[in-house]
Amino acid sequence: MVVNIQQAVSQKTAGFLTDEKIVIETLNLFFYYSSDSPALKDVNIIIPQKKVTAFIGPSGCGKSTLLRCFNRMNDLIPGTYHEGKVLIEGEDINKTGIRLERLRNKVGMVFQKSNPFPMSIWENVAFGPKVNGITDNTDLDEMVKSALIQADLWREVKERLDQSALDLSGGQQQRLCIARALANKPHIILMDEPASALDPISTGKIEETIDELKNQYTIVIVTHNMQQAARVSDYTAFMMTGEIIEFNDTRTLFTNPDKKLTEEYITGRFG
Amino acid sequence: MSQASGNISYFRQKGDPYVLMTSLALLLTLGMVVLMFGIILFQGLGFFWPRDLQEITLKQGEIYLGEIWEEETVHFKNSQGRLISESEIQIKKGNRDLSGRDFIWFKKQDISDQKSPPLATAFERMEYGNFYGYITGLNLGDKFIEDSAGNLFQQSSKALEKAMANREKREDLENQLNQLLAPLAGLQREISLLEIDHSIEPEAQAKKIDQLRMELQNLERKIEPDYQKYSGLLQKVADENEQLFLLVQTAEGAEVHLPLEKVVRLYQPNRMNIFQKTGFYAGKLWEFIAADPRESNTEGGVFPAIFGTVMMVLLMSIAVVPVGVLAALYLNEYAHQGTIIRLIRLSVNNLAGVPSIVFGIFGLGFFIYIMGSSIDQLFFSNKLPEPTFGTGGILWASLTLALLTLPVVVVATEEGILAVPRANKEGALALGATRWQMIRKIVLPNAMPGILTGLILAISRGAGEVAPLMITGVVKLAPSLPIDASFPFLHLDRKFMHLGFHIYDVGFQSPNVEAAKPMVYTTALLLILIVIFLNLLAIYMRNRLRKKYKTAVF
Repeated sequence: MVVNIQQAVSQKTAGFLTDEKIVIETLNLFFYYSSDSPALKDVNIIIPQKKVTAFIGPSGCGKSTLLRCFNRMNDLIPGTYHEGKVLIEGEDINKTGIRLERLRNKVGMVFQKSNPFPMSIWENVAFGPKVNGITDNTDLDEMVKSALIQADLWREVKERLDQSALDLSGGQQQRLCIARALANKPHIILMDEPASALDPISTGKIEETIDELKNQYTIVIVTHNMQQAARVSDYTAFMMTGEIIEFNDTRTLFTNPDKKLTEEYITGRFG
Repeated sequence: MSQASGNISYFRQKGDPYVLMTSLALLLTLGMVVLMFGIILFQGLGFFWPRDLQEITLKQGEIYLGEIWEEETVHFKNSQGRLISESEIQIKKGNRDLSGRDFIWFKKQDISDQKSPPLATAFERMEYGNFYGYITGLNLGDKFIEDSAGNLFQQSSKALEKAMANREKREDLENQLNQLLAPLAGLQREISLLEIDHSIEPEAQAKKIDQLRMELQNLERKIEPDYQKYSGLLQKVADENEQLFLLVQTAEGAEVHLPLEKVVRLYQPNRMNIFQKTGFYAGKLWEFIAADPRESNTEGGVFPAIFGTVMMVLLMSIAVVPVGVLAALYLNEYAHQGTIIRLIRLSVNNLAGVPSIVFGIFGLGFFIYIMGSSIDQLFFSNKLPEPTFGTGGILWASLTLALLTLPVVVVATEEGILAVPRANKEGALALGATRWQMIRKIVLPNAMPGILTGLILAISRGAGEVAPLMITGVVKLAPSLPIDASFPFLHLDRKFMHLGFHIYDVGFQSPNVEAAKPMVYTTALLLILIVIFLNLLAIYMRNRLRKKYKTAVF
């Protein structure tokens, strides 16, 4: 269920989002790694559907933490807890009775370091559908193919689907991870600095892929690289010390920021 | 001055003496291993080589025929305080049934004559060890050939083959007779159990006993013709074999009647060339690996012990690997990492330091006396008071060793699990896999090399362990193997033989320790080879898996 933007906008400051539909929404989200101090402080953000939203900010500002709140990957770290709400397509993902597997099936993730499994390329892409109960091999073949095409990897690997994924180059491995996430037919793809370990050419390819995907998927990307955020995203949120300082459409945020901190960061005075 | 002290300090910084010490320590370790293995190899492999027979005449007039086993020089001071060196010789002269001892030591200087007569013959016997002498006569049943020139060797060998064939025939017949009589014994047992049973009324008891007696008589009548046939055949074979014997003259000149049925092998080592000796060696080696032991384990083969060792190790692996892997998985993947888990992990690791005999006693007390007797009462009550599982057996020994090697498997598996990249685990979970799917598809395959390392260590430890086995099911001589053709084929309740225990038993518990000494080396060599073989198998599997699941490298 997609919440109409009008309801949310009435309570929030995101006037620039009037024409968009919301898929992710956080309400007064606090997140703690330990009880000392929150890693996220009162985060309220709405992520529009089928757009690319970038989180930028200095190291340790909580952008990855926020991203990992959207598919509850933070649950894996013992001792963490949160306050507030995360709604995805209008549903509170932290309420009891939510099936984590279904959530993560809907909200795919690509990690900073590419992490192909030590299996064949085919097995890697088919992993998601398989664990989610698809067993028919022709179906799987079809899904693997379409995911690889979407991730712009099909032409390079179609001859060697049964070879180990670990023999691919770094950039190919990362695109394989994107394909792997796509094979689950997610609604949302979270990308945690997907190109930070790659060379410029591979980075360019990943950015192209993101560009092609944004018509079909909601993409949230965390990046260190402000040029990248400017290039690929429609909306950008600037975060610092666990708070969202400013959230606006990318062009405005980079050319005419509201806050002084944002201006200082994007002009490179710190960070 | 300052230059010199600078040099010294540089010398110390560079640490040359310490580097030297590290290499020396390695050399020492290596040296000890090579020395141990070399001794075992030399002593163990040399045992089966046929030694020449020497006829030695002493100045006192005694004559011995036998194999020279050892030479030793002793140094001592005589009454005048002068240091004197004397060489002594040990010879294995056999003929234990005549003189009571196999070995004799005497001084080299007492020898007046030493020769190796070509006609000297060695006889390996079923009982009383080797016999050495000269064949002077051969009885073939229908005729008796006498020849003191020593031309009877070929014919004797042929006669021996016949006697051995007869022996096999006889064993077959005896087995058939036993099978025939087995139901009778069962009935008789039932009757005698009834006679002492006071829980039923006397009249009913008498009636039942009469009924059983009738049954017994019927059965006896039924098997009577077969019984007659088999015992007739048996008698015939026995008579035939009684007629096959040799007359053998010992070195001292005594004439001995040697039934061929009791002879395993006869050979004239002094006349054998290198190829014949090699053939003889191969035959003995094969006998060692494939045959049953004779003469309270000091002769013959160790096949039952090999079989028992390998089977026990396999059973132990089957028991220890699943339990150890599951426990390690719980410790690492499911349990909340806290004080309790740290304590549990510490206890598991410390389990590896508990003396193995303690495990043996635990196995005896828990597995045999508690579990075994419960199983007996539940499923084998008709056989009681004779225990089935309530006594030592291969199952309980394997389980005891599984317990002993559990910490090794747990620790190695934990290391394997820890080596699985976190990124891969998170990746699987992020794709919507459940924790169990993640474990099965990512963690377990990647931890497999670690698991196999644990298995390798467990095998090495388990195969060499003796103390806990001695009280949980290993015996000196097991009447039958744990696997055979009779239902249910796998007999986990049976006692078994084990190479490690065999070494202890032959080397230290045998009535003829001196004669058994080479057997100890050979068995030790075999045990080492088996452990190496099992290890190589596991290492091969591990390397294959490593290649398959090599982790991502950038």
